[in-house]
Amino acid sequence: MEAILQVKGLRKFYGKLEALQGIDFEVRKGEIFALIGPNGAGKTTTLRVIATLLSPSDGEVRFNGFDLKKNPEKFRERISYLPEEAGAYRNLKGLDYLKFMARFYANSRQEVETFIQRAVSIADLGERIKEKIGTYSKGMVRKLLLGRALMTSPQLAILDEPTSGLDVINALEVREIIKKFAAGGLSVLLSSHNMLEIEFLSHRVALINKGQILDAGSPEELKAKYQASNLEEVFRRALR
Amino acid sequence: MKKFTNLLAKEIRELITFQLLISLVFMVILFYFIGQMAKSEVKRAMRKQKIAVLNFDSSPFSQELIQNLRAGNFEPVPLQAENKEDAIEQTNNSKMNLLLVIPEGFGQGIENLELKPLETYTYLRSLTLMANRNAAVFNAVLRVINNYLSNDYLAKKIPDLDPNKIKNPIKSRNFVLVKERMAEGSAEQITGFITSQSMFVPIILMMIIIYSSQMVISAIAMEKQNKTLETLLTVPIRRTSIVTAKMLGSAVVGLISAIIYMVGFRYYMAGFIGDVSAAIKSSNLGEIIKSLGLSLSPNQYLILGLSLFLAILCGLAMATILGVLAEDYRSAQSLIMPLVFLVLIPYFLSFFADFNSMSVPAKLLVYLIPFSHPFLASQNLLLGNYGSVLGGIAYMLVFFAVLIVVAARIFSTDKVLTMKLRFRRKQVVL
Repeated sequence: MEAILQVKGLRKFYGKLEALQGIDFEVRKGEIFALIGPNGAGKTTTLRVIATLLSPSDGEVRFNGFDLKKNPEKFRERISYLPEEAGAYRNLKGLDYLKFMARFYANSRQEVETFIQRAVSIADLGERIKEKIGTYSKGMVRKLLLGRALMTSPQLAILDEPTSGLDVINALEVREIIKKFAAGGLSVLLSSHNMLEIEFLSHRVALINKGQILDAGSPEELKAKYQASNLEEVFRRALR
Repeated sequence: MKKFTNLLAKEIRELITFQLLISLVFMVILFYFIGQMAKSEVKRAMRKQKIAVLNFDSSPFSQELIQNLRAGNFEPVPLQAENKEDAIEQTNNSKMNLLLVIPEGFGQGIENLELKPLETYTYLRSLTLMANRNAAVFNAVLRVINNYLSNDYLAKKIPDLDPNKIKNPIKSRNFVLVKERMAEGSAEQITGFITSQSMFVPIILMMIIIYSSQMVISAIAMEKQNKTLETLLTVPIRRTSIVTAKMLGSAVVGLISAIIYMVGFRYYMAGFIGDVSAAIKSSNLGEIIKSLGLSLSPNQYLILGLSLFLAILCGLAMATILGVLAEDYRSAQSLIMPLVFLVLIPYFLSFFADFNSMSVPAKLLVYLIPFSHPFLASQNLLLGNYGSVLGGIAYMLVFFAVLIVVAARIFSTDKVLTMKLRFRRKQVVL
């Protein structure tokens, strides 16, 4: 399968702290690729670099042939990023927020409407979509933001802990949405602490710890390699 | 451009909250009521005031004095009392504030030049500015009577001589010069009028800069606190557009807020100082000011507007940089303080100090603050010092350009997310 994102030797320093110590992986077209690891492993930093929020200290990130350092705007046009614990403008109504975000990507009014319809369908907030975001629950905000992230059908959706802080029902709905969109040809790069979630969602997984990739492969490959029954065990054994 | 207007519209919509509108309306209503109260107090003080009079003298002089009090807007109320103590008590019981005691032989004393002093007793029933007005007016009436009596006395003694020539042997005519123009008038009167006319300029400027800066600093801090900045920074729009939209949005809302604020403030001030245009109509001050060229022409207003606008932009650019340093909304409120001080320094100096008489280092320090220039611009324009005004504009332009480059640079790098000014230990999310 064709790789749309290639990360080679990615390093990132925060002052003297080396958060990423030369990371390599690739994301293929139509696959869900997950980064799993403990807190402080470097997952968010990796996603932030690819989302053009942080500049890499060293290494290469290429998306559809474009180099991140030279063409960050090409990345922004084609990717969509959902940060962990992201918020939305509390004074805007849900629908107005979607319209505001859609206008950055759409080339016509019709396209704006198409994006909004798609987001409304993903968020599935009913009539509440017409109310101010400040009145939403955390789960509703997350679904709205997921709708926003996926409404433009980006070539790559970067989702940082997409079900973070959600209850079981909302988390299940969000997972279903992600799976459905990937089935439509969308590539997804996500991170999570939740290994069961990753196992359910991902085609391939990279185990990350202390800024390094320990191993990568499909959940089945990794479980077979480490003779483990689930990804939690895989991770524990990979750390040894 | 569409993306920019989309962002600008969002910024303005985010800033114009229900709370902001409520606070602005409340402020206007509050100022209006305070102004109205002050106005009614002033009116009350200007009404005919009662003055209790205990007259132990029956000469024509004392009668004339009482008549003159009527001309001075007093209503003399004769008291029937045996002594001063009773008169004081009666004055208090009848809620009058002023008592005049004319001693026995007052008129005779004037004729013989053996003066017997009048006594006045003033009740201080409140400590407001208007409370003491009666006594001041009374003293003014006495001054007029004194002048009249002394003129009368001198005219009787030296019939062929104008008494004023003896009392005021030195006459003066005052002229004021501004550049090459000259007019007869008092410099004190003219500067007093100009100050009263331009006192709103520094207040407006201070309000707009502080309002807009607070908005931009809060807007950035709120984006950080609500975790919306990260999303915004990944959408396909130039980072400079994000910075500019935030600044422009805040400037627009700040300007509207300041105008509304000033409408309220005008009501408030009108209560105290009254209608200035009515005052100028009643004197020849307007003619003097016109002949001295001390009124701004449309072009000068344009230059003043440009100076004000650049000062606002400088404030917004500084606030943008400070906003990046803020961790959340609360810390943003503390970070605005340095900027507020930079505005307050020239603001207070414009009221209390003369920039021209300052020492060179102090002057340099004041000129380095970009906000000083519009504070100085109106008087420099009136006095024809275009060099200072245009120099200030050029300085603010350079200052703004440098700040905007710094702000855009910060927004284009990791610093927009990693730069923080805090006293706790720095944490990095990996």
